[in-house]
Amino acid sequence: MDFSAALPVADVVAFNRPAIDWHAASPELILLGFGALLTLVDVIFLDRAKQYTAALAGIGLLVTMVPILTLANDMSETGPRVMFDGAYVIDEFSLIMKAIFILSGYVVILLSTNYIAEGDYWESEYYGLMLSAILGMVVMASSRDLISIFVAFELLSIPSYMLATWKKRSLESNEAGLKYYLMGVFASAIMLYGMSLLFGASGETILTKVNASLSSDPLTGESLSSSTPVLTLAVIFVIVGFAFKVSAAPFHNWAPDTYSGAPIPVTAFLAVASKIAGFVALVQLVFVGFYARADVFQPLMWILAAASMIIGNLIALRQTDIVRLMAYSGVAQAGFILAPLAVAGDVGDQALASIVSYLAIYAAMNLGAFAVILAAARKTGSTSIESMNGLFSYAPGLAVAMTIFMFALAGIPPLGGWFAKFQIFFAVVEQGGTWAIILGVLLAVNSVIALYYYASVARRIWADQAPDGDLTPIRIPPSLGAALVLTVVATLVFGFLPGAVSQFTDVGLIAGG
Amino acid sequence: MISLIAQITTGDDLLVAQNIFWWFFALVTVLAGIKVVTTDNIVHAALYLVIVLAGVAVQFVFLGSEFAAVTQVLVYIGAIVVLLLFGIMLTRGSLGDDQLVDTERRGMGALVALLLFGLMAFSLVDGFEDVVLPEDTRNLIEVEVPIDTDIDDDEFIRTQRGSDTAAIGDTIFESYIVPFEAVSVLLLAALIGAVVIARKE
Repeated sequence: MDFSAALPVADVVAFNRPAIDWHAASPELILLGFGALLTLVDVIFLDRAKQYTAALAGIGLLVTMVPILTLANDMSETGPRVMFDGAYVIDEFSLIMKAIFILSGYVVILLSTNYIAEGDYWESEYYGLMLSAILGMVVMASSRDLISIFVAFELLSIPSYMLATWKKRSLESNEAGLKYYLMGVFASAIMLYGMSLLFGASGETILTKVNASLSSDPLTGESLSSSTPVLTLAVIFVIVGFAFKVSAAPFHNWAPDTYSGAPIPVTAFLAVASKIAGFVALVQLVFVGFYARADVFQPLMWILAAASMIIGNLIALRQTDIVRLMAYSGVAQAGFILAPLAVAGDVGDQALASIVSYLAIYAAMNLGAFAVILAAARKTGSTSIESMNGLFSYAPGLAVAMTIFMFALAGIPPLGGWFAKFQIFFAVVEQGGTWAIILGVLLAVNSVIALYYYASVARRIWADQAPDGDLTPIRIPPSLGAALVLTVVATLVFGFLPGAVSQFTDVGLIAGG
Repeated sequence: MISLIAQITTGDDLLVAQNIFWWFFALVTVLAGIKVVTTDNIVHAALYLVIVLAGVAVQFVFLGSEFAAVTQVLVYIGAIVVLLLFGIMLTRGSLGDDQLVDTERRGMGALVALLLFGLMAFSLVDGFEDVVLPEDTRNLIEVEVPIDTDIDDDEFIRTQRGSDTAAIGDTIFESYIVPFEAVSVLLLAALIGAVVIARKE
């Protein structure tokens, strides 16, 4: 029977099969395939599969690196690959960020392997959720469209909320997950409201088109400056949503409780991968979506950067728990990474390149610090700073590694962090305006404050006595050892050969499509 | 029904009936919204929420976007409020003992709400005060007009907006295929995680 006559709509709308570049989409598809495989293996083999799930997840991530490398290899010939009218773009920036997400995800899985198995937590579900969160980050790195950014943001957030509460029998972990969840959905709601305003003001969801219509009226060519209040509100709401994710002050209060309550590998994941994903979204929005309206986003970024550095560092000085210390130091680091965005409208490429190198180096040194904390907690069972006392006397290798990470985080040459901080500082001062100089001074002052608490951790490790004189060495399982070696090597290489990182992170302005 | 309203909205005259109904439903929505946060009984609050969400659905109908209206009813009233009521039912002892839903910080909350309302009302009015929406020319279909059969043939046919539903369906699988697939992964992950968290050890 022919129903088409009864359905007049059917002739009007013709479905066009979208052109999909399968090579460009292959990292996401491989990750998705391994996630599905992991779930299937768990369903079919039940407990017999338990010991292989961590390895399977790790292999999945390493295999995902293959198409990223081939895409990077082709990039010089093909240029950016643009799909769906510019909604999904594979360019240098997105490939570098995808590689950072996948490698830091791999290190987190190395950290989790023994922790999750020995703690008798749900295993294959843990790795499944971890892979889906990483998939969200990988999608985020290519999203140049408000809807894709929002969906990718939720895909990386919702598994993280559940991972934070994975120690189900621990009240602190439940509190961590609940706090993170409530603050997270609150931030999502604000961000979504901002996006709806942005869509209302521009009539577009694709970032390049949003940018075009924010700068001038598409019909008359007149400036839309009359609607500056709406735009300001929209930009503030969207940025506030991501400021929660990157734990920038004054939206950081979930971070210390969530970090200290969550399982330590999950904390490392939140502090590194999840935070970097927030920055990727911010960078894409600022450099592609709002770039025409530097007058709106720059002051906001200035305030966020300055507040995060000052508040994070001052509160970090008083911490007695190493994980909470890392949480507040993470707030201060977020301030550093936000600083170039406050001058992004004027220095452009340089601000972007400095942020990308900082993110790469930040991932290596922060994951390393959490690996040492995890290893030390295997013996002491505690994360207080005092439990690190005298680490050198019974675990010299860990002590050296922790010292490297602490001084790298503080930005002491020749370790990784100095190059990152130097580039940020240089990009900010390059702009040369009064406010930029003030921000530069704040960066310098805060680096000195941060050195105090990072160095005091190092002093405890080397100079103090081990608690109770207990000098039994720590047994480090192979996967944790591998994670430590990887992060130490990365931190040292980034420090001694900054060219190695800047060669990759020196990306041009992000392609919008 | 929908195309009827769409026809009305594209007319040039001031539409008295539509304006009256718009204000009526807007007021009902706002009043119910105030009751949601002021009522002491949490079940009543959930039921007032139904009125608020239904009011929003009515506004979508006025805008001629029937798909959003139906989705609003199905998802918000049909799923979310029912889930809310189930949550209340499962977490309370019995429906009889109503502990008062109130907080000492209600003054602070009201102040923040008022400030935010003022801020958003100002910027929305400032930004969209003089904006006239262009006539929606997408998705036009030709229909026969069945009345007045004795006039000229040409006037049998007139154009009006068709349903957006098919267009929305196509767009999801064209330009928004990546977020669509990502959402499906998200739902599966949320399901698995929720089972693990809710499960008794």
